[in-house]
Amino acid sequence: MSEQAATLPLGTTSKAASSAEERIAVATQLQLTWWRFKKHKLAYASGIVVILFYLIAIFADFLAYSDPQSTAAARSFIAPQGIQWFDEGEFRPHVFAITGKRDAKTFKIIYAPDPTQKIDVKLFARGYSYRLFGLFKTDIHLIGVDDGKVEDRIFLLGTDLLGRDLWSRLMVATRISLSVGLAGVTISLFLGVLLGGISGYYGGAIDILIQRLIEILRSIPTIPLWMGLAAALPRQWSVVQVYIAITVIISLIGWTELARVVRGRFLALREEDFVVAAELSGASQLRIIIRHMVPSFLSHIIAAVSLALPAMIISETTLSFLGLGLRPPAISWGVLLQDAQNLQALSIAPWLLFSAIPVIIVILAFNFLGDGLRDAADPYG
Amino acid sequence: MLAYIFRRLIFAAATTVAISVIAFVIIQLPPGDFVDAYIASISATGGQVSLAEAEGLRIQFGLDRPMYLQYFAWITGVVQGDFGFSVEWRRPVSEVIGDRLWMTVIISVFAILLSWGLALPIGIYSAVRQYSIGDYVFTFVGFFGLAVPNFLLALIILYFSFVLFGANVGGLFSAEYQLEPWSWGKVWDLAKHLPLPGLILAIGGTAQLIRIMRANLLDELRKPYVVTARAKGMRESRVILKYPVRAALNPFASTIGYLFPFVVSGSIIISLVLSLPTVGPLLLRSLVAQDMQLAGTIVLMLGVLTVIGTFISDLVLMWVDPRLRAGLDG
Amino acid sequence: MNRFSRYLVGFATLAALTSTTGLVVDAIAQSTLAESGLVGELEGATIIRDPARIPTSFSEAPMLAERVAAGDLPAVESRLPSEPLVIQVLDEIGKYGGTWRRGFIGPSDGENGNRINASDKLLFWDFSGTEIVPSVAKDWSISDDGRVITLSLRKGMRWSDGAPFTADDFVFWFEDLYSNTDIVPTPIADMSPNGKPGRVVKVDETTVRFEFDDPYFLFIDMLAGDTLIGGGQSVRQARGQTFGAYAPAHYLKQFLPENSSLEEVNAMAEAEGFDDWVQMLHFKKDWQLNPEVPRLGPWVTTTPINTPTWVMERNPYYWAVDTEGNQLPYIDRIVMTLAEDTEVLNLRAIAGEYDMQERHIDLGKLPVILENQEKSDYTVRLDLAFNGSDTVLQINQTYDEDPEIAKWLKNADFRRSLSMGIDRDQLNETFWLGVGIPGSAVPADSSPYNPGPEWRDKWSTFEPDQANALLDSIGLDKKDSEGFRLRTDNGERLRIEVQAVKAFLPWPQQAEMIAEQWKDIGIQADVREFERGQAMGRTRENKHQIMVWTNGGTELLYLFPRHAIPVDPTEAFMGPRWASWFASNGEQGVKPDDPNMLKIFDLFRSAGGQREQERFKTAQEIWKIVIDQQYGIGTVGQSPALMGVRIVSNKLGNIPSRVCIAQHCRTPGGSHPETWFFKE
Repeated sequence: MSEQAATLPLGTTSKAASSAEERIAVATQLQLTWWRFKKHKLAYASGIVVILFYLIAIFADFLAYSDPQSTAAARSFIAPQGIQWFDEGEFRPHVFAITGKRDAKTFKIIYAPDPTQKIDVKLFARGYSYRLFGLFKTDIHLIGVDDGKVEDRIFLLGTDLLGRDLWSRLMVATRISLSVGLAGVTISLFLGVLLGGISGYYGGAIDILIQRLIEILRSIPTIPLWMGLAAALPRQWSVVQVYIAITVIISLIGWTELARVVRGRFLALREEDFVVAAELSGASQLRIIIRHMVPSFLSHIIAAVSLALPAMIISETTLSFLGLGLRPPAISWGVLLQDAQNLQALSIAPWLLFSAIPVIIVILAFNFLGDGLRDAADPYG
Repeated sequence: MLAYIFRRLIFAAATTVAISVIAFVIIQLPPGDFVDAYIASISATGGQVSLAEAEGLRIQFGLDRPMYLQYFAWITGVVQGDFGFSVEWRRPVSEVIGDRLWMTVIISVFAILLSWGLALPIGIYSAVRQYSIGDYVFTFVGFFGLAVPNFLLALIILYFSFVLFGANVGGLFSAEYQLEPWSWGKVWDLAKHLPLPGLILAIGGTAQLIRIMRANLLDELRKPYVVTARAKGMRESRVILKYPVRAALNPFASTIGYLFPFVVSGSIIISLVLSLPTVGPLLLRSLVAQDMQLAGTIVLMLGVLTVIGTFISDLVLMWVDPRLRAGLDG
Repeated sequence: MNRFSRYLVGFATLAALTSTTGLVVDAIAQSTLAESGLVGELEGATIIRDPARIPTSFSEAPMLAERVAAGDLPAVESRLPSEPLVIQVLDEIGKYGGTWRRGFIGPSDGENGNRINASDKLLFWDFSGTEIVPSVAKDWSISDDGRVITLSLRKGMRWSDGAPFTADDFVFWFEDLYSNTDIVPTPIADMSPNGKPGRVVKVDETTVRFEFDDPYFLFIDMLAGDTLIGGGQSVRQARGQTFGAYAPAHYLKQFLPENSSLEEVNAMAEAEGFDDWVQMLHFKKDWQLNPEVPRLGPWVTTTPINTPTWVMERNPYYWAVDTEGNQLPYIDRIVMTLAEDTEVLNLRAIAGEYDMQERHIDLGKLPVILENQEKSDYTVRLDLAFNGSDTVLQINQTYDEDPEIAKWLKNADFRRSLSMGIDRDQLNETFWLGVGIPGSAVPADSSPYNPGPEWRDKWSTFEPDQANALLDSIGLDKKDSEGFRLRTDNGERLRIEVQAVKAFLPWPQQAEMIAEQWKDIGIQADVREFERGQAMGRTRENKHQIMVWTNGGTELLYLFPRHAIPVDPTEAFMGPRWASWFASNGEQGVKPDDPNMLKIFDLFRSAGGQREQERFKTAQEIWKIVIDQQYGIGTVGQSPALMGVRIVSNKLGNIPSRVCIAQHCRTPGGSHPETWFFKE
């Protein structure tokens, strides 16, 4: 399995391969899937987008410039302020200093940039300290300023009520939300493949039992299920513990869908000639499953996973909306969307809706990716 | 065949019992009980409750009894058609739900019809014209609906429909019809209020349907009989509509059974944001207030509907697909 | 004007502060409430107590006149008592008619209607909340020894069904309801000063006496306040409560076993779908649920609260008139529509779908509300409260799960440091839009309960250096690499848990900001957001460390003490065990080991028998200890945050430009909504 996967990119770019026909004849199923997938332009592009997002997740603190937790009344609801790239025709990225004043009639704080006060934007500047990859302590960020605290200077996407920088919060939220999705899918996948596989391969009483379990879980509306479980989490748990628990809760429902897919494929494959052939030639059950059956529906699973991920991400935002998911001071997309979910945000600070954009992009990307993978997973179709 | 149906019925009944127990247990899971929630809501709205009074309430509502006794008290009633008493609404559960059931049915059916009406033609088009610009546009729009968190969308639409068009804010009736008995005017008023929540509710499901329809139809179109029909010079519209579309619809027919519970539980948050008088917000509220018998009944109701739906779907599927019938004993 | 100068000082300090920290974003704090024109002068309808000014001829609403003409209703003269309550309306004699549209958020929102009908209290406060005036009772007196309180009723006064309202309704409440342990399991403190139960005695048809063994001068205030005894029928006989000193005997008697038999009433209950007669009684006397129950308030329920619309209609026997003899209320009907969510309620208010709404309106939305004033044809008013702090960090003195944490929570210097580590101006600007007053938890300076202006700032200004020094000095001088202080038992970081509920203020967000500020004094606070019911459950089990809540109501310390001192186990955020000990007279709970708290308890207990001026002195003493000890850390108060953002349709008349926002004013009840009217 692993060496097949490793040769994939090589096989596609190698000029040494002889004629196309020959390639197809000797290609493994995964290679075929990959070739077909590459033709699906939208899915291919989506795959790249997904990779980019995971890169953001990995380098979140580096890409953020302000401390995402730093609050100040004097920065409440500042609209996005762009970077000025040129100063009198010369390339010199800078931002204007900003002054604010609460209007006595409207009670809004009116902010005005002061074009006479230019603050240079520096690359690889020092800011709040964090641990890169959770290991190396550093305070270098992609951008920053030398003059004053960066929290008071740069507002690429504006600030929220508490004066926290939305750009920086979005970066950090990406890490949490994407990994919740990934972890949730991993758990679902494990449960789904295990139980779905057992159910499909053995059939009989075990199948009936597992199918009943799935039916029961799917018959209970998800919201009460979530609410009950999430509300029952011990409150003394740390953010990390709650985070893990939330992932488990979300995947508790997610696995049933995967189990169905896996079981369906098993049922279909069990009757296939090559499985029967393997059985007749005395291969062990484990070998049949791992060596013959899993590879033939691996791409289906990959597709199912990439379709399950966005559902997990949406679930996380929904739980936050209900006040049951991750809660501040944790920063996730759900937490950020909750901040945007009120009238004053819509009216006074519509830029808080930017939080929805990465959610939308990622979910679209995963869906297109999943669709492309599924189309590709059926190479003879 | 009959034996199979009988066996499935027994499974369905067992599942139902399991759901009722699980429903009751999950609702009980959070610490505290209705009286805690009640004191909190009273004091948060400027009232006060004394400790003695709180204990009195616990006894009055039977909350001092162990959980299994509370469950049996409730389920015995349910079997006899008495769903218990909602401690929050201080009315019998059947009345509280009854008030809202019709509105829930109306709005859910409307949303389902809307999403089918949109999804099927788009799905067929996307499959037939795979990778065309239209396919991409529709898929994108469909997925967009899926990707936008719908609770956010609901509030945004609500707010801007007021700001831009001065529309009524939430609910299903204008103020003047709120208290009126049913009349043509009230029906028309309802009809005017339906599209917005219906559309928001339909948006998420539509994308899903488009995708399934497109995938199913694509599978069918690749089959030899379609190729044969084309080769024989059949009109393209007939080639597609006569058999492949029907075949692709089969899996849909099988989902009819549990569409309703699915839409109801999927719409809880939207209904809350839009303040719709449906079962959704009722469920959420009863869960927060730990109004056990009301929450339990709604969860049970949705669960039973799903079980029945699944049962019917299986029967339908078996009816249309002889291959499945053959494998029953496996 | 003093208020406004205080704001200016507050703003000036904020401006100074921001400039010294080098922020370029500063000078926000220029706005003033005075400039906004949204805060008016306290004003309202007044009660005329001069019998000579009782009108001699009376008139009524057209909808009632029709019923009189049809013979359904007696003439207005015979419906009114011989000495009706005469109300001098605020601006002009009103017109009859109209429907007041309003929003409510569900069956638990009964206070929404109770407060509008608050004139069914025996005594009430005037519009400013400072002077006790008659309401249901025409007059009152107290014996020199403070043991006997006598109320005079209005001759010829009637329930909403036309039956006479007399002293018998008090005796019925006391003997048949309150003294029946099936209905009221335990006696209430309001009726039992120093644990000795009082009595209700009928003198004649229109005279009632309350008798106590110990002096109970406070009882007059209790009758006028929003207490269990004085709250009135609307609130105190709803939702399973059976208090409020009087009840409709002629109607409720049929549901009691005394007047038939236990079997009979239980059979009746079962026939109507109740478990037993007690459950039935609780339903029958609840005006929010049962449209049939006779009432004294200005409006009676026609469609109950547990439906999507709660509808009230005028009480044809309402016993108050304006100075020209027009029977009140002016407005025919109140229709409250259910909003499943407060965002929708606010949006509906902004869309002009309500005629008058102050309840559930969110101060944070003020800019949006102001923006739509003209479009939706309403006026916005900000009513300022008198309580010291809308957000108080109440510190649990009986917490015991983690001895190390408990040790610090009980350390006064630790609490003072926490308080001095809070930058209240930041909170005020962010969450109160700059309109609150930062400081400790003491009530407004103008209040007779206030011990002096210096107590506003005592331990309650932003002094991070002093806080750090104080924390160092009490043994918390070791810090980890990130600058957080360490526990003294195991050397790990000291983490304090702050429990916050997302109720009517954004408390979790506020707590987050405070936690950020505490980083500068090396304190790690973990904010935990709870659902309301859960938070209450946890406090009952003594599991919380710090609870974020309001101290609204504590401006009248004796009537609503629970959020100033731990004396009421219902909500004893500052120490559930101590509160049980106090409330049970030492039978349950734990005796405080803190001499300051014992002193507070002694002072509080002694107040019931003291006369007014002496009581004020005692309250000031209590407040001094409370503030010096910082059991509750005050932040920002005297603001419109709770029920103080009022959206009023321009069609309504007699609306005060500022109303009293307080528990005892029963906002908006103290402004007599029955005198409001539609101008067109």
